[in-house]
Amino acid sequence: MSDPVVVDRVTKRFAGHTAVDTLSLSVPSGIIYGLLGPNGAGKTTTIRMIMDIYEPDEGVVRLFNDVAGGRTHSARIGYLPEERGLYPKMRVLDVLVFLAETKGVVRRAARARALEWLDRLGLADWRLRKVSDLSKGMQQKVQFISAMLHDPELVVLDEPFSALDPVNRQVLLDTVIDFRRRGKTVLFSTHIMEHAEQLCDRLCIIARGKKLIDGTLADIKRTRGGKHIVIAFDGSQGAAQQIFGDRRLVAKIHDFGQQAELELADGADAQEILRALVSSGARLSHFELASPSLHKIFVDLVGPDAATAAANPPTDRERERARA
Amino acid sequence: MHKVWAVIRREFVERVRTKWFWVSAILGPVLFAGIIVFQIAQSVGGGARHIAVVDTGKAGYGRRVVEALGASKSIRADAASPSPHVLDSLTELVEAKRINGFLIVGDSLSSDGKAEYRASNLSLQTIEELQRTLNRVVEKARLEGKGVNPTVVDWAQALRVTLEQKKCQRGACLAESAGQSFIMAYLISLLLFMAILLYGVNVMSSVLEEKRDRIVEVLISSLRPFQLMLGKVFGAGAVSFFQFLIWGVSARVLISLRGPIARALGADPSQIQDVRLPHIPFDTFVVFMACFLGGFLLYSAMFAAVGAMSSNEQEARQAQQPVTYLLMISYLSFIGLTNEPTSTFAKTLSVVPFTSPIATPVRWAGGSMGVGELIVSLGMLALAIVGVTWVAARIYRVGILMTGKRPTLKELVRWVRTA
Repeated sequence: MSDPVVVDRVTKRFAGHTAVDTLSLSVPSGIIYGLLGPNGAGKTTTIRMIMDIYEPDEGVVRLFNDVAGGRTHSARIGYLPEERGLYPKMRVLDVLVFLAETKGVVRRAARARALEWLDRLGLADWRLRKVSDLSKGMQQKVQFISAMLHDPELVVLDEPFSALDPVNRQVLLDTVIDFRRRGKTVLFSTHIMEHAEQLCDRLCIIARGKKLIDGTLADIKRTRGGKHIVIAFDGSQGAAQQIFGDRRLVAKIHDFGQQAELELADGADAQEILRALVSSGARLSHFELASPSLHKIFVDLVGPDAATAAANPPTDRERERARA
Repeated sequence: MHKVWAVIRREFVERVRTKWFWVSAILGPVLFAGIIVFQIAQSVGGGARHIAVVDTGKAGYGRRVVEALGASKSIRADAASPSPHVLDSLTELVEAKRINGFLIVGDSLSSDGKAEYRASNLSLQTIEELQRTLNRVVEKARLEGKGVNPTVVDWAQALRVTLEQKKCQRGACLAESAGQSFIMAYLISLLLFMAILLYGVNVMSSVLEEKRDRIVEVLISSLRPFQLMLGKVFGAGAVSFFQFLIWGVSARVLISLRGPIARALGADPSQIQDVRLPHIPFDTFVVFMACFLGGFLLYSAMFAAVGAMSSNEQEARQAQQPVTYLLMISYLSFIGLTNEPTSTFAKTLSVVPFTSPIATPVRWAGGSMGVGELIVSLGMLALAIVGVTWVAARIYRVGILMTGKRPTLKELVRWVRTA
């Protein structure tokens, strides 16, 4: 069986600005795939092209091995857009039934499933209330339900966990993991690396519309990471800063104060650093040889790009101008 | 189709659930009931006008007028006893609302035909009745003066001619008065104008709402923009039909209940003036409905585009003005359409698709439009619906995902070309 989502050398330009540049990626069936990138990297534009909301200027998007587009397959796809929105004056249950109907679910079945989902996410008592009566977090849960309600084979979630408190985030995380367990496919975008590290089987990091790297999380860690050491101090740091500054031992450092992540210089030995730290009077509570965190890989890769890309996000109007 | 149906259904149910729908649905019949009660109340005693008749001469014309008005249902007349200051005291009575007015007649009535009526309120109905009565009194006096037997005069005056009015159109002549024709034309243009405008604007605000509440992106991922627009237009259209149905049925029920209402108010049902509804021939009804449907589709598509290109209510209100003016042209020219229905102006209005939804039924109801002209008019309207919907759908498609400043005309043209 071919991959449910294949993006093949896709380019999308908006006025004087290429939002997505010959991007290719492929989402295999039955996994959680993360699309990572800083703000303005082209994540939402890519997702909108996958969802058939924008048409690519070049390249093709194939869904379920068909170029017909997301709308044709909408019954098999769930979508949570970045710009959340529901009808504020409608009742929660009615909104869910309506949105399921637009995906082709029969009314009666939609109603039964909506009630089931509301119950599952703790919103059963709110089913007859107006959407506008709900808190932001509850509204987001309702929107999340609307993406899952028609039991799609693929869900596309654009920044699904932003603006949620930890409890509700965990509820949605569990739901996504359970979804994958049932053999379904998840494609989600985020700029929060912890979420990606917890969830993703595969991922793709993009910046300024271009792919920087993709693959399984383990592969990326293996290829991108040199030898890494995670250190935590217990009080005194001794002459640690001096040792971290020694380019013969340490190639790169992410210093978090009481914690630090080091990348060893070529030929350096971890034991040598440990010895040097201890003899300098530093008290250590943690010393671990580790693969690099996704956060570090991301910052290393994206680094300066992130700042410039995020500084000038194009407006819709500019994007539109580029269409003509 | 299932998806479009879901959109229609949502649009209909959510709109009918609002308070405003029911307020206006109930207000219509209440207004109509008010009119009926008012009419009945007028026909009951309260409606009769009390006037005094002052005779400044000696020939007894005042007495004759009072006698002649004795049979009147709407005027109760009493002779005022002559005194030097009678006019002043009567004026005071009028001001104190004790009497409605007073009539002054003199001996010269039968020679120069002059009399005077003073009142706080000069109602057309009273004046007409007084004039009729005075004419008969003068006629009788003059004939008697020439020696004609009063019984003969009474016999001659007893007969009144009723002029039956019929309107001939398309080979059939049906009873309808000039007033009824005018009312009919006015009702047609008013109803069409209101309905098309109100429900077109409904489509617009609904589009705007989806854009503002950012739900449109989810919808567009499962429906084609055209399907969504179609669903909205038909949904809002169904609501307007439903509202008309409520008004129509309640008006019909109220009219048939006039008898019981009159009895409840203590009036004699047989005495109530008939509300003469103009006869609406079936073909006029069909033309009316066709033009309503066509006009609604045409204007709703335009209003949908206006909603899609605006980001908030304020912008939309401004952007809708040109569309509203377009519709207003034919509404405002309805007097021209009824007075000179065959002028070049009237003919042009009924061919141009943006004005024909109102102009065509008005002219057709007036009987001044041939079948050939009707076919051309409806054909043009159908073509325009296809064309305008095509353009509007493209503006809609691009516009619904846009935020920020309203597009310029140049940008709109580009939307249409590139969508």
